[in-house]
Amino acid sequence: MATPSDEQIVERIQQGHVLESPAEMSDDYRRTLIHILTVSADTEMISAPSYYTAAKNSPSMNNLISALAIIQDELSHAHIGYRILQDLGVDTEALIYDRAPTAFKHPYAFDVPLRSWVELIVANAFYDRAGFVLLGDVYRHCSYGPWRRALAKVDKEENFHLRHGENGMRRLAAGGQRDEVQRAIDWMFPMTVEWFGLPDSLKTHGRQIAYKLKGSTNDQLRQQWLRTAVPLCEGLGFRVPAHFDRAADGCVLDYPLPVDFDEAERRWLMDRPITWDQVLVRWKRRGPGNAMFVDMLQRGRRQMRALAGVH
Amino acid sequence: MPTAEEVLAALRDVADPEWPVSIVDMGLVCGVAVDGGVVRITLTFTSTACPCMDMIRDDVRERVLRLPGVRDVAFATTWDPLWTKDRLTEAARAQFRRWGVVV
Repeated sequence: MATPSDEQIVERIQQGHVLESPAEMSDDYRRTLIHILTVSADTEMISAPSYYTAAKNSPSMNNLISALAIIQDELSHAHIGYRILQDLGVDTEALIYDRAPTAFKHPYAFDVPLRSWVELIVANAFYDRAGFVLLGDVYRHCSYGPWRRALAKVDKEENFHLRHGENGMRRLAAGGQRDEVQRAIDWMFPMTVEWFGLPDSLKTHGRQIAYKLKGSTNDQLRQQWLRTAVPLCEGLGFRVPAHFDRAADGCVLDYPLPVDFDEAERRWLMDRPITWDQVLVRWKRRGPGNAMFVDMLQRGRRQMRALAGVH
Repeated sequence: MPTAEEVLAALRDVADPEWPVSIVDMGLVCGVAVDGGVVRITLTFTSTACPCMDMIRDDVRERVLRLPGVRDVAFATTWDPLWTKDRLTEAARAQFRRWGVVV
């Protein structure tokens, strides 16, 4: 079978065709799918060492078990992504174990270490909600059948994670840890808002949306996140730098996106707007936990290779 | 004051946090008793290291407290009978099959 052209692929997909094998793909479709899958699998993967580091602060055995169940889910989601990448001809062994930390493609948010149980709970409520929004979009629209089917399980589990975050925030809010939760929200809320990336005015999604590897734009996805994250926080009496605007029929930010971030203090400088080019510089440089978290993933493999005399 | 049957009907609204199947169809509810304004509920879980015990109890408490006349909810946990797949109802099995989960 001859490799179909991009135009043929787009036309078939727009008619509702679902691709089932690499043989049906054009080079550009395959490249685009590999990119999106790598971002997704890396994100699931790096959340494990990030959450695990924070889970060591669990206040009870039950809490630790919940956190570990979430981490195990994330690793299985990563496995699904890398497994599909293998079918697309990617050497995932090299991808996972031989890549430099800065070459991983997860969002910058996971490069900023979580320091407490409270921050882990807020990460479940915010970061897993972002994952739920992004993967839910893929689950509803994805034109690659094997990924779409695998996401049925992922979608349910991400929902469990964000509910763990919501229930946890409710408990913490009622249990006298309001100040700590508010401090976590103050840096983690804008972090998740930024996660969704360049606004539609600056980014063309042409290919990803034409290929139905994505169903919604960055701004639409960010809005979906805000529409549930803002009422959650407000309902518990926490301050967030965004509000629902009736006229706009959506949530609007109370600060100019993007703004500068003080990594050492983990503080957003709301009165210091920057450009997205400057954000991309920070993202590419990666954050303070990047090397440590990737090392946690790669260390065991490296030690085994050394023991076996393989380099 | 609700009857035990009414409490059980309300518990059908509470989904397992990991899969959106009611905890009744999951076979987690082992006993319901109404004792004045206090509802006593005996639950089991799919494993002794179930990661969702607190979440399920929170969700059950929240739902049952919405029933008129209920003042408090008291929980007991039992491992006898031990949970197995046999405790899933046919409705739960049908849902799992739809999601491609073998039960």
